[in-house]
Amino acid sequence: MNGDAGAVDLTGFLTLTRREVLRFLRRPANTFAPPFITNVLYFSVFGVILGERVGTITGVPYILFILPGLVVLGAVSNSFENASFSIFHGRWNEYIHEVLTSPLSYAGMVGAYVLSAATRGLLVGGLIAAIGWAIVSALFRPVPVEKPAYLLAFMLVITLLFASLGVIGGLAASDFDDLTVMNQFILRPLVFFGAVFYSLEDLTPLLRDVSLLNPMVYMVNGVRYGFLGVAEVDPRLSLAVLAGMTAAAVGIDVLLFKRGYGLTD
Amino acid sequence: MTNALEVEDLRKSYGDLDALKGVSLTVPEGSFFGLLGPNGAGKTTFINVLVGLVRASGGDARVFGHDVEDDYRKARDRIGLAPQEFNVDRFFPIHEVLEHKAGYHGVPHDVAAERAERALKQVGIYDKRDTRFDWLSGGMKRRFMLARALVTDPDLLILDEPSAGVDVQLRRDLWDLVTELNERGTTVLLTTHYIEEAERLCDEVAILDRGRVVTVASPEDLMDRGTDRVVVTLRDPPASAASLSAVLPGDDRIEDVSLEEGRLVVTARQGGLVAPDLVRELDRAGHEILDMEIKRTSLEEVFVDMTRHDEGDEDGRDDANEGAPDDAPLETAAPGGGEGSR
Ligand SMILES: Nc1ncnc2c1ncn2[C@@H]1O[C@H](COP(=O)(O)OP(=O)(O)O)[C@@H](O)[C@H]1O
Ligand SMILES: [Mg+2]
Repeated sequence: MNGDAGAVDLTGFLTLTRREVLRFLRRPANTFAPPFITNVLYFSVFGVILGERVGTITGVPYILFILPGLVVLGAVSNSFENASFSIFHGRWNEYIHEVLTSPLSYAGMVGAYVLSAATRGLLVGGLIAAIGWAIVSALFRPVPVEKPAYLLAFMLVITLLFASLGVIGGLAASDFDDLTVMNQFILRPLVFFGAVFYSLEDLTPLLRDVSLLNPMVYMVNGVRYGFLGVAEVDPRLSLAVLAGMTAAAVGIDVLLFKRGYGLTD
Repeated sequence: MTNALEVEDLRKSYGDLDALKGVSLTVPEGSFFGLLGPNGAGKTTFINVLVGLVRASGGDARVFGHDVEDDYRKARDRIGLAPQEFNVDRFFPIHEVLEHKAGYHGVPHDVAAERAERALKQVGIYDKRDTRFDWLSGGMKRRFMLARALVTDPDLLILDEPSAGVDVQLRRDLWDLVTELNERGTTVLLTTHYIEEAERLCDEVAILDRGRVVTVASPEDLMDRGTDRVVVTLRDPPASAASLSAVLPGDDRIEDVSLEEGRLVVTARQGGLVAPDLVRELDRAGHEILDMEIKRTSLEEVFVDMTRHDEGDEDGRDDANEGAPDDAPLETAAPGGGEGSR
């Protein structure tokens, strides 16, 4: 034995987390350039050009209104993509065996994949917030952070949630195309109909009720509350529901690892 | 003393295919154990059950007393596996891959770095430490697989076909290193279909065929079970073998006597022991012996005999094996075996 069980698991967990984080940090061009370019474009086109016509929405300039949504979009899609890609790539090239044949507990393995992917989501979310801050400050006024604790809590919960959903995606995928499909056909529509670019008040009552079934609405709403201090849905309720979903998703991840779903023959 | 490996009635089905049909094996601590079998026998499946990459359909496996499912963390920590297929992290230079592997086993970072350095030196690729796996040559890749197995200081080192596609020099290097580790107490489980490898290295071998253990024995014992050929050149060979048979002692180790191109060919188990009697009896009968040669059976021949499949014999074989002692199939394989059938 290389150490007692608890110590093995902590060292193992930290090692795997570190490995996962280094994997994307050592390739900054792959990790940070795409969201940088995309979001500069989003802010320019939607915020600056379109924003001039829209004017204000819920009392704030349009570009400021969409900023939280773009942060959420980048954070959750990067969390999801990182977890699903890392796990699927490891399965595809079988080097995930290095982890699976180790004395790490299944919770330790899942914890490392989820935490590292969420870290990527948070970093990208931060990058997008910085881009938005630079552009909005230049045009109007500094970006407020009215409820920093809520902002942090929401960012943590949503990146963890999408990282743990990404783990499921990485285990379920049988092909690289499956990852693209998950991202393009599931994640993006949820985000775009998640009140990133419009206010719920602009919808007909029916569409508004349908929108409330989309978890993304609560996420965008919560992060917007963190920045702007205004919410269309009760932020505490949103946070509780999202935290519950995250706990459930992590639980499913651990169960799938235990069962060897997609991992063992 | 606990055994390194205790496996009872291990089964694995992939859909309709039964890859392991009830394998039972004990590998004593400190031994150098060979798992021999033709391709598809189930060797890799067997090993993958031990490390958790394959879920058994039935039976039990314990590594140093730890059940591979219920107590998987302890079981896995004792094993260092160099698998048959390359499955290495391609994102990091190889010394970091080793540090990570040691880390997953709970080795703190600074110690892991020393271990990685040591393992790379042991297998002779320390100067490639900053290279990524994909950029290593084929032989270096094999060396690296061994380094990764060693970096966690395993008590049970498992090598799955380590010398597949490896040149002679590398094979020797690997053998030397593994032998040395074994002498210092590491239990080694080696799978191979190169018989020479098992013959030279292993204390004990199990022959696995179509998901069943056909026999467990030392390589010497196995060779004793095969038939040797004693070829005697006589000055005045008789016209037929029959007249010579009468001369020979009634030895139940002798299986066949024939004349080939004027030379007497005696097929017998343990030919080396039969030969002196043979010489004495021939001499007594007045034959002058010009030359004698003993062609010892090779482990390879025994192996081929034991794992040979005649068309449609599967059911018969399976019945013969059901609950039979380990060496039963040998007896059924022996008649007509040896050189006569080639
Ligand atoms: N993942 C798998 N799915 C289906 N069949 C498999 C799988 N892995 C191995 N097999 C089959 O199981 C049998 C044993 O394979 P394996 O354990 O690789 O044998 P060996 O290592 O002795 O060559 C073979 O018939 C092989 O085709
Ligand atoms: Mg194999």
